[in-house]
Order: sequence, then C-alpha cells, then structure tokens
Amino acid sequence: MDSWVIAMMLGVSIFLGSIALVAFLWGIKSGQFDDEQKFLNAVKFDTQEDLNDAVDQEKKAKELKKKNYTPE
Amino acid sequence: MSSKVGCTHCHLEFNDNVMIVDGEHYFCCKGCQGIYHLLKDEGLDSFYNKAGDTKLTPPIQQYEDSSNFNSPAFYDKFVSINKDGFSDVSLIIEGIHCSACVWLNEKALHKMAGVISVNINYTNNKAKIVWDDTVLKLSSIIDMIRAIGYNAFPYDASLQEVRANKERQEYYLRMAVAIFASMNVMWIAVAQYAGYFTGITQDVKTILNIAEGVLATPVLFYSGWIFYRGAYYAIKTKTVNMDILVATGSTLTYMYSIYITAFERGEAYFDSVTMIITFVLIGKFLEVLSKKSVADTLDIMSNHVPSSIKVIEDGKIVEKNINDVKVLDIIVVGSGERVALDGTVLEGEGNFDESNLTGESEPVYKQIGDKIISGTVSIDAQIKYEATKDFAHSTLSNLVSLLEGAMSNKPRIQMMANKISEYFSAVILGFALITFLVWWFWPHSFERSFMVGISVIIIACPCALALATPVATLVGLGLASRRGILFKQASQLETMAKATTLVVDKTGTITQGKPRVVQEYIYDDFDRSLLYSLVQNSKHPVAKGVGEFVLQEGINNFELQSVKQIPAQGISAIYMDKKIFGGNLKLMQNEGIETQNILHTHGTSHVSNSGNSEFYFAVNDKIVAKFELFDTPKADAKESISAIQALGIEVIMLTGDHQKSAKKVSEEVGIKIFESELTPEGKFLYIQKLHDTGKVVVMAGDGVNDILALALADIGISMGSGSDIAIDVSDVVLLNDSLASLSDTFKISRKTYFMIKQNLALSLLYNAITIPLAMAGYIIPLLAAISMSFSSLLVVGNSLRIRAGFKK
Repeated sequence: MDSWVIAMMLGVSIFLGSIALVAFLWGIKSGQFDDEQKFLNAVKFDTQEDLNDAVDQEKKAKELKKKNYTPE
Repeated sequence: MSSKVGCTHCHLEFNDNVMIVDGEHYFCCKGCQGIYHLLKDEGLDSFYNKAGDTKLTPPIQQYEDSSNFNSPAFYDKFVSINKDGFSDVSLIIEGIHCSACVWLNEKALHKMAGVISVNINYTNNKAKIVWDDTVLKLSSIIDMIRAIGYNAFPYDASLQEVRANKERQEYYLRMAVAIFASMNVMWIAVAQYAGYFTGITQDVKTILNIAEGVLATPVLFYSGWIFYRGAYYAIKTKTVNMDILVATGSTLTYMYSIYITAFERGEAYFDSVTMIITFVLIGKFLEVLSKKSVADTLDIMSNHVPSSIKVIEDGKIVEKNINDVKVLDIIVVGSGERVALDGTVLEGEGNFDESNLTGESEPVYKQIGDKIISGTVSIDAQIKYEATKDFAHSTLSNLVSLLEGAMSNKPRIQMMANKISEYFSAVILGFALITFLVWWFWPHSFERSFMVGISVIIIACPCALALATPVATLVGLGLASRRGILFKQASQLETMAKATTLVVDKTGTITQGKPRVVQEYIYDDFDRSLLYSLVQNSKHPVAKGVGEFVLQEGINNFELQSVKQIPAQGISAIYMDKKIFGGNLKLMQNEGIETQNILHTHGTSHVSNSGNSEFYFAVNDKIVAKFELFDTPKADAKESISAIQALGIEVIMLTGDHQKSAKKVSEEVGIKIFESELTPEGKFLYIQKLHDTGKVVVMAGDGVNDILALALADIGISMGSGSDIAIDVSDVVLLNDSLASLSDTFKISRKTYFMIKQNLALSLLYNAITIPLAMAGYIIPLLAAISMSFSSLLVVGNSLRIRAGFKK
C-alpha cells in the first residue's frame, strides 16, 4: 500500500468531517440551539398545523412589510 | 360529601363546594373561568391537551393599567425600531410553567393582526416581540398576555445580557472546533503510538504529522485565541496567570512540532497542543456558563418607576415627565396607579399596597393628611396629593440607588483556584526555563534541551488544575438543583462554604407568610356558614386565615346582601334578617356593639398581648366569637435552624414586624439574636455592620423589603415563591421554599468546597511526581498524552464523590 493512499483517506475524511462541523457552526450562529428546551419540544410535538402557522406568519410579515413600503 | 376537584384551567385542587360550577367544568375563580372561555372561543383550547396536568398559576388581578405602556417615555426606553420599520420590545413573561404555556403565548399573539414575530425562551421566560406599531399598540399586546392569564413587563435587553449571550456563543463555536479537531487528532495519534512501538516508515509518519498539524492549527489559533487574549492582558497588567502558561506552552509545542515534521526527526506533539487547549477551554466554558448579569435586576427595579405622572396645573390635569415635577406640585393618582413621588394626601382616601416597602401584604388605608410613599400602588384610592420631595429624593429612587450601590459593593472573595493557578503558572514557566538551561549547559544539543524544557510544560499541563474547580462545582450544582436549590453562579458555592453568619427574614421565610387561627373563643352559638360567607368577601390575610379555619365539611357559601368593606377595620353584611360584622375591636366599637362585656367577664387573658392578630365576629350587635391568629413558623423551621447552628453558623433574624411576634417566632425556632421593626435600609445597615466585623454573611429572604439586604450580603438566598425582584437580586433560589433546603445548601456547598480543595491537592501532587520525571528527560509523547488524560479523569472521578452521603 502506497503512503499516498493514507494521505488521501486522511484528507477526504477530515474534509467530510469539516463540512459537518461548518454546518454545526452555522446552526449555533443562527441561534437554532439557543433555547434547548424549545428546540427539543419542537422535534417532539410540532405538527402540520404548526408548520402552516409558521408559513402564515411569514406571509403576514411580508404583507405588512409591503404595506409599509408603499410610496405615497 | 365534599371532595377535592381540580380547576379545569389551572389544575389546582380545592373542595368542590367552593368551586364555580360551569357545565361539566369546575373553576377555582372567575379569572380561570374567563381564560377557559376565551381560549375556547379563540380555538386555542388544544392548550389543555398540551399542558397535561401541569399546575398553572391562577390569574392575579392586575392593579396597574396597561395604557402606561403606550406613553412616549416608555417607548423611548424599551421599544426600538428595526430596519424594516417594525417595533421591537423585550418582555419578561410571568407565569410560564411548561412548554404549552410558551406555545399558548406565541399562538395567541401570532393571531393578533400586526404582530410580526414572537419568540419566547422557555428557560428564562424572556420574549422578543416584533410588531407593526401602525396596526396595534403595545398595550394591546400586553392586554392579550394578561387576558390569557400571564403577565408581562419589559426589560432593557441591551448591554449586559446581550454581551453575556454573545460571549457564551463565542465559547460554543470555539469549543465545537476544538472538540472536533481533538477527536480526530486522537485517532491519528493512535496510529502514531502504534508505529512508535512496532515500527513505522518515516514517510507515513510525516503524513500523519501533517494531518495532525492541519487539525491542530485552527485549535491553536481560533479556539486558543482566548488564551492569547488572556495572556496579553496579564502581561499588560504585569501578572502571571494560567493563560500565559497555556499560551506559551501550546505555541512552543506547536512550533517545535512543525520543526520536527519539516526535518523528519523525533516525535511531534500536535496531539498535546489540541488536548491542552480543549481541556482548559472546557474548564473556562463551564465558568462562563454560570455567570449572571446584574443589569437585568436594575431594569426590573426601574420598571417600578412610572414614566409620566398626572399633575394639576391651573386647574387642569397635565401629564408631566417624572423629573420635571417639583416639590409642592399637586399630583393625581387613580386606582391601579403606582405612586412615583413621596407626598401628603390633600383629597380623597383609599387603600394602598405597601408590600414593596414593608413586606407585609395587608393593604394600608390612607386619608387626608396621611403620608404616601413612592413605590406603593393604589388599590382603590382616588386621591390628590402634594409632593413633599422631588423624584431624586423620593423613597423609590433612594431604594434604586442603594440597590445599585449594594450590587457593586458586594465583597469579592478571591477564588482559591485562581490564587493557586497564579503561583503554579509562574513556577512551571520557571522550571521549564531552568530545565532547558541546565540541559543546554551540561552539553546536550539545543534540540534535545529544548524538547525536554517543553515536555515540562506539557506534562504540567494545567488540565487537571483547570478542571478541578469547574467539575466539582458542576457536580455540586447538579446535586443542589435536584433538591430545588438553584445557584446562579458557580463560584457562589465557594463563598457559601466560607459563610459564618446566616441572616433570615421572618415573614414568609421562617413563617408561612400567612396568619392561621391559633386560638378560638366561642361566646354564643352561631352558624359557621355565615362566618365563612362573610370572610369570603375580603382579601385581607386575617379574613382568609379565618376562612381557612372554619372551612369544613358541609359548610355553605350564602349569598349575602349589602356587603360593605370598612377599610382597616373589617366587613359588614346582611343575611336574611341578620346583620353580621367581622373585623377588629375597633369595628365593633364603632358599630356600637357591646365589647366591655366580653373584655371584662372573660378576664384580661382574652385581651391579646401576645402579638396575635384578633378577629371578632358579631351577629345582630352581639359578639359571638373571637379568633386569635398568628403567622406560625414552617413545620421544618426549628429542626433546620438547629441543623444550621450545628454547622457552627450564627443565625440572626431580622424583621419589619413588631417586637412581640418577632420574639415569639424566634423563641419557637430557637434563634437567639433578632432585631424587629426594621426598614429595608435598617436591614441593609445591619448587614453592613456584620461585614465590618469581618463576617461572611448569607441572607435569606423573600420580599421586596429584603432586596437591599439580599443584594449586599455575600450570598442572598430567596424563596421561590418570593417576589420577582428578590429572586433576581439573590444568588441562590430555594424553589421549594423549605428551610430544610436552606440547611442542605450549606451542607452541599461545604462538601463541594472540600472536594475542590482535594482536587487541587490531587492535581498538584500529580505534578509533583511527573515534573521531576520530565525535567530528567524521561517523558515520551505517549506518556505525556496518557498522563494528561489520566489526571483529568482522576479529578472528574473524584468530583463525583460529592454526591456520596446525600440521598437521591
């Protein structure tokens, strides 16, 4: 076995690992893990209804934003 | 025939005959009933499925009017406009017990037109709300939160808290990188060690070294940045700290390892670099995790200051900023409003809630000529009063500035681990330098001498030292929290362990906080249901105590006619042809009821001089019964106090109550030293005096009148049921309100402190053995790595022993 095989395997696995690390860092930075209790409960209890609510809420925010920006 | 049933809304259980029956549902009060119907109408009743049988707090009647929240002064202080033109506010929501409560609040607010986003944190009950101010006002949001049975008040989210959160997040990021890299370095290191013993070709070794080097680089420069920063500040202030040791040790090792890798000789130490940084970083993170911010507390306190007040000028009512009001201005206070300035009543009368200042929950009746104090809340009074002091000199702002002073003057007891690590770092750096020089002059190659010198630093790696305190405190805190004791900051365990004096408040801390009937005198037969129905109409604690006492099976709640509350005296009502009165002696005398008879024929022993409150009950102008009530000590008070005294701690009781009842309580629970009739400032000064004599003081209390003392004491302990400000100012919270937890707090902190000392001794002993070996040049990389992990494990394992001796 040539030593470059070892080098390549090391390189690839560290690279793959670092992708996961970067994704995790992004999660921390965007505040997804700030409230661990809520985060865990969402996994357990969130239903279709909650997803719909979230979408509605986003729509409402967008509409209000639009209304605020109408030039007069 | 009567049985306990749970309220459909709050799930608290009461006897079924006192419950409001509504179809198939039972409610404990009108508030719960109102909320239940509101949720049902709004389609939010799936809340009850989510909440399960969690017990909620029944809604409390709100004295304060929510329109205060719309004043420009308020908006200036708490509301910010974000870049989309929407308004932002941070609120603390009271009454959240479970994740269903969070869900309900978020959902109910989301349903309101104009609300953009609501984010409530389950752990600290803080909410961030974004809304469109052109659609609805903040007061409607607050009203909604109150309508569903919670309460909200704003806080200034800027400054300290934001900074603390940012620091925590920074540590998370750095730790994630460090842990990821060290896990990977470790498995590469396994290959290295295997090669060390069984033979390995130089080119494979170089590849492994390079891979380790690649992983070690972000750890040293990103995760380890904190140590460089710490070292920089230490050098600037000319001190030696652990950061310098970590920074120099790891940097030198890193550079040496690069040199080894490049010239292909000897062993690289990249694994030591990552491990040192990771372990010490974890230790530091555990410390950061348990820091509390002072700013929050002061915010809540200043929420008690109304931002604008109504002043009469030229016969008209004008709103004025609080700072513009001068002495002798005439101020109008309506019911539900908070008094901002001290003054004297000119017109009107009514009851005030003074519990903020006195700690006693009885409303105080004020009429023309009486003084009113800032910080109190008018319950039903409509008065005009003349300001006798301006805002800066009023009681309330005095309290705020005293509190600020107390928080910053809190004595700091230097933590033992910090003291030790200072010396330790200096000594190790010295040893490493000496070793290097000695090896170099007793002719050895520069490379060999340098390596031996570095191995001293690596082997002395302060991992175990850095973990000794945080791990032990963490175990101690975990043990405490399982028994309902919450420490807000880890280092407080150490301070607590050094405490010499315990100061306790009486009402609500040692005692139940509400009077109970201790003596009953019956002068004539009467219907107990009549008395029960009468006292149901009063919120006065004495009336409640009597109500609880007479409540028994088969008692009825009659519908009474023309119920009248006579402030500071009692209640009167009519039932059928009977005129009934309940209250103190003064009420009886004012109503022309024969009292001499009772006082004389039954002897003077019935005239209370024991500090008990009295309640008379009269039917048709004849006194039929008298009750004596007393705020009795909690069941475990005596036992717990003597357990604390057995630890060699001096126990002192301070109270705002009068001498007689203070003496009675202190004798009952076995406290020798007590002071009565103390104002909040009085308690503050008393603790200051104790500090001056060199005592380390722990203060336990629950009311707003204790906050100054709680803030000044080395450790402030508050009861979980106490007021929010008291909980905020204190360092330790006893969730179950029991005094047994108080003695547990002392025991746990002492044991933890003992283990911290043992851990430090262990890690120093460990170094005493390994450092000479390193100086003699006997340390190989594998040994360094194993010893590092082993010493850390030893410390962690030892810390777990704190739990021994405590059940559960």
